[in-house]
Amino acid sequence: MKKPLLWFAVLVMSMSAFLAACSGGEKSNTDDKKDNAANDSKPQDGGTMTYALDTEFKGLLNWNFYDTDGDDDIIQLFDDPLIDYDENLKAVPNIASWETEDNQNYTFTFKKGVKWHNGEELTVHDWVFALETIASIGGEHQRWSNVNTIEGAKEFNEGKADAISGLEAVDDYTIKIKFDKARVNNLENVWAYPLSRKEFESVAPKDMAASEQVRSKPVGTGPFKVSKVIPGESVELVRNEEYWKGKPHLEKIIVKVIDSSLTTGELKNGTVDMTPFHPTVLPEVEALNNVEVIRYPGLSYYYVGFKLGTYDGKKVNMNIKKYQNIKLRQAMLYAINREEWVAAFFSGLGKPVNRPLPTAHWIAADNGDMPVQYEFDVEKAKALLDEAGYKDTDADGFREDPNGKEFVVKFSHYATGNPTFEARAKALTQYWEEIGLKTKLQMVDVNLYYDQLEKDDPSLEVFFGGWGTGTDPDPLPLWGDDTVWNYPRWVNEEAQKLLEDAVDISVVGTDTEKRKQLYADWQKIFNEEVPALPILELDEVMAVNERVEGVIFDVSGPNSAHEWWVKQ
Amino acid sequence: MLKYTIRRILGMIPMLFLISIVVFSLAKLMPGDSLSGEIDPANTDPQYIAEMRDKLGYNDPVHEQYLRWISNFMQGDFGKSTRYKIPASEIIAERMPNTIFLGLMSLLITYVFAFLMGSYAGRKPYTLGDNFISAFNYIGLALPSFIAGVFAIYIFAFNLGWFPSNGSVDISLEQGTLSYWISRFHHVLLPAIVLGALSTASYTQFLRNDIIENTRKDYVRTARAKGTPEHKIYRSHIMRNSIIPVVTFLGIDIGLLVSGAIITETIFTYPGIGQLFLSSVTQRDYPVLMAITMLLSFLTLFGNLIADILYGIVDPRIRLD
Repeated sequence: MKKPLLWFAVLVMSMSAFLAACSGGEKSNTDDKKDNAANDSKPQDGGTMTYALDTEFKGLLNWNFYDTDGDDDIIQLFDDPLIDYDENLKAVPNIASWETEDNQNYTFTFKKGVKWHNGEELTVHDWVFALETIASIGGEHQRWSNVNTIEGAKEFNEGKADAISGLEAVDDYTIKIKFDKARVNNLENVWAYPLSRKEFESVAPKDMAASEQVRSKPVGTGPFKVSKVIPGESVELVRNEEYWKGKPHLEKIIVKVIDSSLTTGELKNGTVDMTPFHPTVLPEVEALNNVEVIRYPGLSYYYVGFKLGTYDGKKVNMNIKKYQNIKLRQAMLYAINREEWVAAFFSGLGKPVNRPLPTAHWIAADNGDMPVQYEFDVEKAKALLDEAGYKDTDADGFREDPNGKEFVVKFSHYATGNPTFEARAKALTQYWEEIGLKTKLQMVDVNLYYDQLEKDDPSLEVFFGGWGTGTDPDPLPLWGDDTVWNYPRWVNEEAQKLLEDAVDISVVGTDTEKRKQLYADWQKIFNEEVPALPILELDEVMAVNERVEGVIFDVSGPNSAHEWWVKQ
Repeated sequence: MLKYTIRRILGMIPMLFLISIVVFSLAKLMPGDSLSGEIDPANTDPQYIAEMRDKLGYNDPVHEQYLRWISNFMQGDFGKSTRYKIPASEIIAERMPNTIFLGLMSLLITYVFAFLMGSYAGRKPYTLGDNFISAFNYIGLALPSFIAGVFAIYIFAFNLGWFPSNGSVDISLEQGTLSYWISRFHHVLLPAIVLGALSTASYTQFLRNDIIENTRKDYVRTARAKGTPEHKIYRSHIMRNSIIPVVTFLGIDIGLLVSGAIITETIFTYPGIGQLFLSSVTQRDYPVLMAITMLLSFLTLFGNLIADILYGIVDPRIRLD
C-alpha cells in the first residue's frame, strides 16, 4: 500500500507544480507549506476559499423560501438570522435581542446599522414583511407553523385583517410580538428571518420563490454577498466590506457541487478547501496530509424500531402483539455490539446512546443516569429471552415464541445507492441470530420504505430509522401519541404526560431546569421500555484544507464566515 | 419525400399519446412522492405536507390526474417542479444548453475519430495498426461509461491534472469572454470523450468492415483493372458507399444525445438534462421527470425519422414513398 501512495503523491505534486506553471492562478500545496513557517496564526486578509457540496443545491437562496439541504449551506454564508443558537442549542441574540416576562409578550430590539447588501438598513419592518409574506401564503408555505402562533396571523391569512395584530413596530429597531398564548417554546418556534422589503415589494408573495431575487440575485445581511449563481453548479460570493460584525478576511468564497465520489481526489488536489463528506470515506480523507478533519457533535441518532401498533390519522394505537414483550426488545439491544458496529460502518464516527436524543442537546440526560446501560452482553440477552419464554423447543437452533410457534424477526432497512447499507443491516441480523432469534432481512427502496412506515404497512415489523432533531428540543412531534412520526406507534401514558407537562407553561413556567428534569424522566421510561432500540448518535465531519484557518464548528454549525481566513 | 415525412410525423402523434400514458402510469407507480422520504420533523409540519399533497392533486383519482396533466402538457404547461419551485420547462431550459453542448462535442469527437480510425483500419486491414485500433475499440465497447468515467477522472483529472473533474465552467470568469469559452471547452472535453467513446468504437468498426467489404466488390476490381489510381478508387468508389450506414446513425444519435448523458453527467457533476433526470427520479419530482421522459421519447421518434430520411438522401437506391 505504501509504494503506490508515494508514487501517487509524487505525481500529484509534480502535476500541481505543472498546473501552477500553466495557469498561474492555481495554487499548489507545496508553495503554501513554505509560507506557513514564515507567519504565525495572525489572520491574513484576501484569498479565495472553495467549499464543496455533495448534493445539488436547488437555487432557493433565501431563508424564507429554501426547502432542502444544500441551499441552506449557501444561505448561511450571506444572510444572518436574527436569533442564533449556542453550543447547547439555546437561543442567543444575534441581530435581535429580546425580553419577555410571561412567554407570551416579547419585545425584540434590533442592532442599529445592520445593512442589507443593497445598501438599505435592516429594520423591524423587514421582519414584519417576512412574517406577513408567509402568513399571506398560509398553509402552502412550509414555515406557516412558525408564524401562525402569532396573535392575529390566522385572521390575516383569512383576509379578515389588514395586518397581523400581534405585531407592533414601536420604532425602526423595536418590535413587540404577542403570541396567541404563552408557550415554553414561542421564541424557538417563531420565524426569525427578515425579508428585504426593497427587494421584494413589487413581487407577489406566491411568485417570490421563483423570482430572480431568490434564485440568481439574492441579498442578505451576512458576511458575503452573492455575486454570481450558475444554477445547480456553483455560486460565487464576495466579501461584504460593510458586514456589521467586522470585515471578513476572505475575499471570495466559491461554493460548487461535486459528485460525492470526487471528494477525496478534489481535497487532495487542493481544488476543494472545505467539504462535508460521508462517514464511510473517513479513512481516505484522514490519510490526506493536506487536510484536517473537524469533528463536531451532530443532532441525529439512529434506532431500530418495532411496529407496536398503527396510526389512525389522529391517535396512535398500540395494537400489534408480536414485539410487545419488553424483555424481548431489551434482549435484542443487549445482543448488538454497538461499538464494533459503529467502528465498522461509520468509521467510528458515532457513539452508542441509550436514549432517543443526541447528547449535545441541552435536554439530554446524562447517558450514565439511564437505568439500563445495554452493554454488549450475549449471555444477558439469552437470559432475558429465556425469562420471557422465547425458547428453542424444536431444537433447530432458533428460539420459538412463548407459545411454541416459530418466531422470525422480520427486519427491514432502506436501500439507496449506498452499498454499505445492506452490509450494516446484515450485521445486525447476525447479532440477533447469535442469541437464537431467527432473522429475515429485507432491503426496501428508500421512498417506498418511508411510505410504508408512515402507512403502517404490515410488511415492516422491525425497522431501521434515524432522526435529526432541530434546535427545538421538544420530542412530542416524534414520540407523542397523536403524531404520524411516532413510527413505532408506542404509547405510554406516563411518558406522554411527562412530555405534555414539559411544554405546559402552567407546569414548568420559564424554569428550564424543571423542564429538563421532566425530559430526563421521560428518557428513563423510554430507556427501560425501548420501543425503539437507540443505536448511535452520529458525529458530523467536515474536511478542511490546512491552509484554511479560523473555522470552528459546534453542534449549531460553523462560526460566522467572516472569521475564516486562508494562509497565503 | 414530403408526403412520407408528413405521414411519419402524423404517425408520431398516437405513438406519443400512448407513451404519455405509459410515462404517467410508471411515474404514478413509483412509491412515495416529493413530499415523502427522510423528513426532518422538527422543520416540517405534517399539516403542511397534507395540505401540499391535496393542492398538488395527489389525492385525486388517477384518471383525473392524468387528464389534467396531459391537457396542460399539450398547452405547453409542463407543471411546476416540486423541488425547484419553478416551472419544469424553465428548469429544463436552464440545463438544456449544457447537454446540447456536451452532446455536440461528443458527436464531433465520435465522427472525427471514427472516420480517421475507420478509414485507416479499412484501408490497411489485418496490419499492426488495424489490430491496435481494434483492440482499442473492443476496450471502448467493453467498458461501461460509468467505469470509463471514473477512470478518466482518476487519471486525467486527479493524477495528471489535465482536466477539471466537475462542473461546466469556472464561475469566476466573466460570461462571454474568450477565457470563459476556453473554460467551457476545458470542462466539457473529458465527459464528451467518455460519452463518445462507445459510439466511436462501434462506428469505427462499422466503417472498417464496410470499407473491407466494398474493396472486394466487382466495381472496385474493375476500376483497379483499368488502372484507376488507388487513392481515387478509395475516394469515389469505396468511401462513398461505406459512409452511407454511418451517416444514417446521425439521426439516431439525436435521441441518444440527451439520454446517453445521464450517467456521464452525474459522474462529472455536469449540470445538464441527464443529471436533472436522475435527481428528479430520486426526489420524485414528477413534473420534471415526466417532461424529460416525454422529451426523450419525442427525440427518439424524431431521430428515427431523420435517420430514415437520410437513408433516402445518401443512398439513391432506397426510395421513400
